[in-house]
Amino acid sequence: MSETLNHVDINHKLQESSPQEILEYAISTYDSIAISFSGAEDIVLVDMASKIKAGVRVFCLDTGRLHGETYQLIEKARQQYDIQLEVLFPDANAVQKLVAEKGLYSFYTDNHQECCGIRKVAPLRKKLLTLDAWVTGQRKDQNPGTRAEIPVIQNDRIFARPGETLTKFNPLANWSSTEVWQYIRKNNVPYNPLHDQGFLSIGCEPCTKPVGPGQHEREGRWWWEEATKKECGLHVDHSKK
Amino acid sequence: MKITFVKKILADGSPCKKCGEVADKLEKMGHMARIDETIIADERDSNSPGMLIAAKYNVERAPFFVIDKGEETPVIYTVFMKFLKEVLEQQTSEAEELKEIMKDNDLDFL
Repeated sequence: MSETLNHVDINHKLQESSPQEILEYAISTYDSIAISFSGAEDIVLVDMASKIKAGVRVFCLDTGRLHGETYQLIEKARQQYDIQLEVLFPDANAVQKLVAEKGLYSFYTDNHQECCGIRKVAPLRKKLLTLDAWVTGQRKDQNPGTRAEIPVIQNDRIFARPGETLTKFNPLANWSSTEVWQYIRKNNVPYNPLHDQGFLSIGCEPCTKPVGPGQHEREGRWWWEEATKKECGLHVDHSKK
Repeated sequence: MKITFVKKILADGSPCKKCGEVADKLEKMGHMARIDETIIADERDSNSPGMLIAAKYNVERAPFFVIDKGEETPVIYTVFMKFLKEVLEQQTSEAEELKEIMKDNDLDFL
């Protein structure tokens, strides 16, 4: 059976599993695995994983533009949990070139993609080239438009080493925001105090704002950009069957 | 090695914009001769050859490339720049690679 088919089969098997069971499977299956921790609600993954295996690897992408509260939470996680925490930084020359050419707030006039590419994706890609698997805090309810179908395990074809397979786990995929917060409260997990100020989604300081009642959490990120339709997905027209 | 280029036709019958751009770039770079087969994933027909390949290998986006080296499982490339660099050995810039990754993928959770 192919590796691709294995991902699909395992995803089906893990659909009813708890995030802890998915993490346990991930950590026991892969030695070269790390958790991506953004300094927000995904701290629940750090809490869960540290209870499964001491010294589990965790990495954070320090864009240089995070909130002070986020840096404090990252440091708190480093002190509180038995984890190997690695803070990743963007390439200084790339950041310097971007700022020299476009200033410190280019994302307000262009879009956030160039800045995020340099500050987040480039260091992420470099890190993922060293791993066989990684773990994210993505959930379906974060964006019904783009994340409704995210599996709990998938074949990451974007960041895999040439000719090799990279596996991506999304243990919280089937959890709601409410379930995440129930876990945080029940287990006294430290959390980012920005959440108490109305921040539902937390990213870089200039690109994140609190949202009001009834607003979706993604409305607090890059709010000046028009939501663009993702065209590259493959959609089956079931009405024609 | 067999390279298959899978292009998409949208549900409204129009061609996929990125598929056209990718085909143009392959042509301009002189790589079209390296493509052994081009097939269509027609969103209006789940039994179209490209849709069947996408379903078989669990590919959720197009365009994509299937690299068959005669091994059990072909390698699938959904990132054009990655395909250019790793398969066609075309030099690409990191800025171009990151731009494509950011444009086509939901990485906003980072």
